[in-house]
Amino acid sequence: MSTITVNGKAIEVAVGTYLLKALKDAGASVPTLCRHKDLTPNGSCRLCLCEVVKGERSEFVTACDTEVVDGMAVLTDSAEVKKHRKLIAEMYLGRWPNVPAVKAIARRCGVESSRFAPEARDENAKACILCGRCISACDEFVMERILSFAGRGDKMHLTMPFGEVDPHCVGCTSCAYVCPTGAIEVVDDLNRPHDPKMIRNHGMKVNVEMATLDAKQCRMRQVGTANIVDVMQKYDLLPCLNYKFGSHPDAAKIGTNVLRTKYFTQGAADGCWLGCSMACAKTVDGFELKTGPYKGQRVCVDGPEYETSGCASNMGCFDPDFLVEFNFYCDTYGVDTISMGTTIAFVMEAFEAGVITTAHTGGMQLRFGACAEVLELLHQMARGEGFGLEVGLGIRRLKEKWARELGADPKFLADIGMEVKGLEYSEYVSKESLAQQGGYAMAIKGPQHDEAWLIFMDMVNNQIPTFADKAEALHYFPLWRTWFGLMGLCKLCWNDVVPADNFNESEPAKIPDHVRNYFKFFEGMTGTPLDERKMLEQSARVYNLQRVMSRMFGYGTRKDDVPPYRAVGPVTAEEYESRSERYDKQLRELAGFDPAGRTTKEKMAALRSYREDQYRKLLDAVYARRGWTKNGVPTVKRLRELGIDLPEIIAVVQKDQEP
Amino acid sequence: MVVVNGREQVPWSDGLTVARVLSALGWDYALIAVTVNGDRVPPDRFASFPVPDGADVRAIHIAHGG
Repeated sequence: MSTITVNGKAIEVAVGTYLLKALKDAGASVPTLCRHKDLTPNGSCRLCLCEVVKGERSEFVTACDTEVVDGMAVLTDSAEVKKHRKLIAEMYLGRWPNVPAVKAIARRCGVESSRFAPEARDENAKACILCGRCISACDEFVMERILSFAGRGDKMHLTMPFGEVDPHCVGCTSCAYVCPTGAIEVVDDLNRPHDPKMIRNHGMKVNVEMATLDAKQCRMRQVGTANIVDVMQKYDLLPCLNYKFGSHPDAAKIGTNVLRTKYFTQGAADGCWLGCSMACAKTVDGFELKTGPYKGQRVCVDGPEYETSGCASNMGCFDPDFLVEFNFYCDTYGVDTISMGTTIAFVMEAFEAGVITTAHTGGMQLRFGACAEVLELLHQMARGEGFGLEVGLGIRRLKEKWARELGADPKFLADIGMEVKGLEYSEYVSKESLAQQGGYAMAIKGPQHDEAWLIFMDMVNNQIPTFADKAEALHYFPLWRTWFGLMGLCKLCWNDVVPADNFNESEPAKIPDHVRNYFKFFEGMTGTPLDERKMLEQSARVYNLQRVMSRMFGYGTRKDDVPPYRAVGPVTAEEYESRSERYDKQLRELAGFDPAGRTTKEKMAALRSYREDQYRKLLDAVYARRGWTKNGVPTVKRLRELGIDLPEIIAVVQKDQEP
Repeated sequence: MVVVNGREQVPWSDGLTVARVLSALGWDYALIAVTVNGDRVPPDRFASFPVPDGADVRAIHIAHGG
């Protein structure tokens, strides 16, 4: 803390506080025109001028952009301060005599009329007063520089480049939001929303949060989703070596800071669409490829995102150059990085376990960390040749093929092959979160986390300890997150920036203020008010219909919602022993099994029995909460409640109904 | 002793603050909402907010990510 005196009275102020805030907190009245609470101050209007006394001398500073210094003695209403402020206010009033904000400030400074009548006098009540807020907002809220000043002296004016409408302007309306005079007006009826102002005002909240909070929170603007690599490593959730482990000593080599400092070259508004104030998409420019058809060329790579980094750790490939090249060729060949990375991690473990050998891989030593071999597999797959072609089958078919043709143990392959419903897992370790095991394996399209990411709520926060709690979470979150998709809205402005007062909410994990934002976007567009109950009902209609469609295609029952054991617990002794303290404790405290004197094999069997039983109970609880049968099929009663009990839909589920 | 999220235990010592409890657990995550015996603690007060012996601390990690 620093101690300063304000008009002779000593006050304590946190280090780094701007003087204007300290003065206001101390009850001093200081006028401002250019200051806006959501923008970085720049002192351009000069009205917040204060006198800082230094012995016999004084210095005049603008309070809004001056940080307090310990021992500072400040005068806010000395004769000199009043004289300077009055002169400035008189000049403003002379040039913009009818602008209400100027008139109010002038009155506050004791000025009723002006001696000045400059050539540039503007009688318009909504004149631009050149405060510069709009320029700052364009830069800070949406990272654009559409607006700027041009001209000098009394010819200075606000403009877009060359005085023309800049096509980069996407009408985000940040400039109008901060304008103190109404000089910038918004005309936003382009696609005739019901209430454009409602949409704009709630969108602006997100813009402001991104400008003021992101750098301290998720750093989406700096590093995008790659910020999660370090977090997952820290919480033992980063998939390493085909999900055996949740962290690795080499993870920092592909960590957030390496990507930020050595790779990412574009940090401006390169989001999915112009005007996105989060702009989390990141790019590596001028990257020289070492392999493949474009070897030697310098290319632009879109990424890496967190999931692609997670693929690298999952394959044990902790080489950032490899990561970027893998990213590029997956994109170029039209291959999903997640499916590719998870499949190859499985292939690597199968190779190390002796399920396949160099005789099957065309001579490639496909051990964890084999970066060059991974890229070669990718190129082979794209050419439709060699072992790469076989890997392109994906995990489910590889398991079947190797069991059938190589006599491999199908149970071992089922345990380590990270797929459900034929889709490969995304890149999180779910072993310590029963709810997330369900979030993955019960997801309708397969083990993607976009229906539910409950690991923190469950494993760290201990917020959903009972089966009923977990079932409620696996009811609410899949419906909420499905709802984004139905509306065509991005999920990231729900929970990749969080309001400063979110800690004050009764259910902070839901980020209720941002949920309300989405409801207002919906209402502003359609004119129909929305609340949680209605939102869940909208989503449940589609979600249940999707489950019925799964049933039509031969999926959509309990057997299709079962995770591979690698997603639930340790498959190998190496895994168990790497976290034996954790597992022994759980056996003792939760499973009623004393691990003392037991072999690792015995302890693994006991843990597996306990965890698989827990998962079965989870399925029971979730199906009941969702209004589904014990076999995971929507009941006719539930379909009726949702108003989707059409005869052709009922016909699909009729045979699955319980008596 | 202080209990965090009904599960983790952190030894109590004189002058214990929210920031020190989180540090003891290695929880430097950016999005954490904290209560101490039911009182909500703003993030800018983590470093100064006292945690009494026997306190029930809740440190709710807000999930984020792609």
